[in-house]
Amino acid sequence: MPSRGPLSGCGVSRRDLMRLGAGGFGFGLFGGIGPVPFVLGQASRAAAGNTSGRILVVFEWFGGNDGLNTVVPYGDPMYYKHRPTIGIKERDLLKIDAHAGWHKSMRGMKQLYDAGKVAIVQGVGYDQPSFSHFTSMSFWHTAAPNSGNEYGWIGRTASALDPAGQRENFIVNISDSQSLAVKAEKHVPLVFIDPMRFQRDVFAQEKGVLDQLAAQHTPAGDAHRYVLEVTRSAAQASEVVRAAWSQYTAKANPDLRLLDLDKVAALIEADFPTRLYYVPLRNSLFDTHVNQASPHDRQLEYCSDAIAGFFQELERIGRADDVVMYVYSEFGRRVPENTSLGTDHGTAQVNFVIGNQVKGGLYGNAPSLTNLVLGDNLEATVDFRRVYATVIQGWLGADATQVLGQPFAPLDMFRA
Amino acid sequence: MATRTGWSPGPASWKDDLAPISSADWNYDRAAHLLTHAGFGGTPTDIEALAGKGLDAAVRSLVHYESIPDPRLKPFVESGLWDPSLNGFPESRPEATDRAERQGNSMGVAVKPGGNRPVQPVSDRFFYWLRATMLETRRLGYWWANRMLQTTHPVEQKMALLWHGHFATHENKVRDYRKMVQQIDLFERGATGNLRDLTIQVAKNPAMLYFLDAQYNVKGAPNENFAREVMELFTMGVGNYSENDVRECARAFTGWYFDDLSFKVDPAKHDDGEKSFLGRSGRFDGVEVLKIIFEQPVTAEYLAGKIYRFLVRDELSPDLRAKLGKVLREHDYEVKPLLTAIFSSRDFYSQASYGGHIKGPVEHLVAMMRHLGADTIPGVPDFNQSTIAMGQHLLNPPSVAGWAGGKAWITPGLLIARGNVAREVLIPDMTGFRDWNFTAGTDDLLGRRLRDGYDIGASTAVSDPSKMSTFDRVALERDERFNTRISGYIGWEQAARKLIPTPRQAAQIDLTRMVMESGSKTTAEAVDYLLWRILRVPAAAAARDAFVGFLTRELGTDDIERARTYMEDALRLTVHLIMSTPEYQIV
Repeated sequence: MPSRGPLSGCGVSRRDLMRLGAGGFGFGLFGGIGPVPFVLGQASRAAAGNTSGRILVVFEWFGGNDGLNTVVPYGDPMYYKHRPTIGIKERDLLKIDAHAGWHKSMRGMKQLYDAGKVAIVQGVGYDQPSFSHFTSMSFWHTAAPNSGNEYGWIGRTASALDPAGQRENFIVNISDSQSLAVKAEKHVPLVFIDPMRFQRDVFAQEKGVLDQLAAQHTPAGDAHRYVLEVTRSAAQASEVVRAAWSQYTAKANPDLRLLDLDKVAALIEADFPTRLYYVPLRNSLFDTHVNQASPHDRQLEYCSDAIAGFFQELERIGRADDVVMYVYSEFGRRVPENTSLGTDHGTAQVNFVIGNQVKGGLYGNAPSLTNLVLGDNLEATVDFRRVYATVIQGWLGADATQVLGQPFAPLDMFRA
Repeated sequence: MATRTGWSPGPASWKDDLAPISSADWNYDRAAHLLTHAGFGGTPTDIEALAGKGLDAAVRSLVHYESIPDPRLKPFVESGLWDPSLNGFPESRPEATDRAERQGNSMGVAVKPGGNRPVQPVSDRFFYWLRATMLETRRLGYWWANRMLQTTHPVEQKMALLWHGHFATHENKVRDYRKMVQQIDLFERGATGNLRDLTIQVAKNPAMLYFLDAQYNVKGAPNENFAREVMELFTMGVGNYSENDVRECARAFTGWYFDDLSFKVDPAKHDDGEKSFLGRSGRFDGVEVLKIIFEQPVTAEYLAGKIYRFLVRDELSPDLRAKLGKVLREHDYEVKPLLTAIFSSRDFYSQASYGGHIKGPVEHLVAMMRHLGADTIPGVPDFNQSTIAMGQHLLNPPSVAGWAGGKAWITPGLLIARGNVAREVLIPDMTGFRDWNFTAGTDDLLGRRLRDGYDIGASTAVSDPSKMSTFDRVALERDERFNTRISGYIGWEQAARKLIPTPRQAAQIDLTRMVMESGSKTTAEAVDYLLWRILRVPAAAAARDAFVGFLTRELGTDDIERARTYMEDALRLTVHLIMSTPEYQIV
């Protein structure tokens, strides 16, 4: 841990903050997403100021996304000096302003941005950064850079929102193994990847006996009571998840590619009580050391389309006002391209906060491309825990200082 | 010989009472409880032998194990993956290739004088070692699990496992299985010794020095990583020191580093100046700072609480924690007197301590083998894959904070995984098993493409080269210094060529014999025997009845003698169900 104060060096100037009106949502064909009929479903749960129905979906882009080729600082000539080959040409960009533009594959995000629903946070990182995927992600998971914590930041947020840990299925982690980010003191995260395979592997003849595993029993103590509860909720959870999935109507649409966000949409449509969803990107192509353009173009298109399609789904379901998505990676990439037409592990990155209630625009200072640090790397301008504090406090209404262990000033990012 | 008894927790009023139980309170079940918590459980024969010694001698034999021979434990046999050119292994691939570009070679491999991809052998070399040390660490975890199973010193192994999670480093960052071997050895030797000495040894341990960035902690530019963790996680707990203490502590450790497997101090990089630390002043070095930390009463409480939660039960009162801390402090941080006090105490045998601890996945799997009478950890299912599925990757704890333990071991998915692992142990998928050590993960596809004759450009493409036009394929090939994607695959292949294969034998289990020797005549008696032998908390009556019904249906009779020649798999399925109960997850 650095010794300097948590708030130093990350003053937010919100240069170029763009606030576009919350205009109509574009439902045109973009990025291979077919039109989904807009149905006014249930009324929004979260009335202005009431945070109790608000949902946070974290979409983790593991692999180290190249932020400079995602929101491209084309207005800085140094960008093309560092990236003579793999730099995205100005004519290909989806322009944001005279300085920055979206990568050409990100039409879905551009549409959301133009509708005023995307906050782009630039220069997000931490002091003394790690260049290891694993180590740096563990810092992001625990919100404890160059340190550690038994519980993850999402798990601790759950504790702050529901101190008794009473609410079932409060955290959902769409993954084949539980992320450290969701590890919680009291809450039992619901972790699954394939709703139809979230079950015990048993032989046919054993099936009839399984119900008896959670048979009525006097608990021997607290640990026993807990395992009994989880045994019951595991059976129930695997059942309700499978039911929600089988009833999810949009999965029949072959043009709708939501990566794993379709499972989140299914649970939201099924009215799950979950307030914290954590979705790590699978089969990530973000670790672009070699011949970056092809995998990066493709991965950004997949992710951008999935996010746009996900919010389209939320509009159909009628819960779009209640959901905010937060996107981060474990680090950005080295500023100069390498000799394999790729980029190596780096430091500061770009984050996105997306939703109807988000005041869209650019937040944080874009790091300098001239004054590089730590061997050709960006110097972070926003400590990532400020963005955490923003969604924890500004969106979910929990005490961010309690969750993060020290105060971080949230960014002013939400409408109501 | 002690009479076999049923479940007999002591009264609830014994909770938090460290007074020893009387010899009248000692019996077979209490011995079973002791062997389960102090080690990994045992067979009825093991438990009878322990019970027959009486309480004091039983505890003494477990805690003072040094004179007991441990003939089955053998040193780790290395595959021969390391050689001295890997000393000073670069921290990253860019560092490896930059070094080669500067000096013409790196990690004992020279840059090619001409041709395309001249630095490729260096990049390959980097990935060779990443894969080699990862694969060897899997073997090391398997070897260690077998030690836990086969030892005659269960307390030593149990405590070594505790210290691994407490002084947590992971191979994924350390990137040198030899340092992990060294660390296991340190944790075994110091398992029940003096905690101050152990902490000092840990501070000088190369895996820890690397893990917490000792190489960056130098005079004038201290790195606080180790200094913070040693207080926050290893000794005192957060809130018992100031940020200034962290800074001063870091200064005391400046100049500490390692050379390969040896601890070194560089006097030129050590800050020898005056430090003010936890209310004391002096020109402290690292050892002196650690000694000051061990003068703090909170340190004894923190560590005693950690030991207790790992061995006995997940929750303990502040009052008991203070009492345990006092025992540890009064014995100058010697662990054996604390263990003796715990294992002899009323609290240990109280109702609260029966079923108050959720087994960790490694503990769980080793205990499972003991319950099944298997004397070797199976090769199918794979040990590491099984424990990872249950939430614990041995030698790769998730962060410096180790594993959270307790309730964090159980989620719906992890609980389901425990049942699934039990099935794979009892009814292994021998014909469907594929050895993941010899599968290049996500690089597997790349290897297939190279072997199918595609060049490096096409093989590393995102799209399937067989579906590309020749023009597109050829356009992918280019001049470059090296290609890291291909190195991931080549490195795996090169490491796998040398790697000693893990034996892939199933667990050797004979439940038919176990049940016949129990004298069970009926399926009800057989199920009751298995429940008694396997569980430390009784199953629900309805579950027990369901298991009896299940076994009777599977056997076509309730007569065990009649079913003797064909009952093995039915018994295994029954045990799979027993091991899927909530009760089997706790002790």
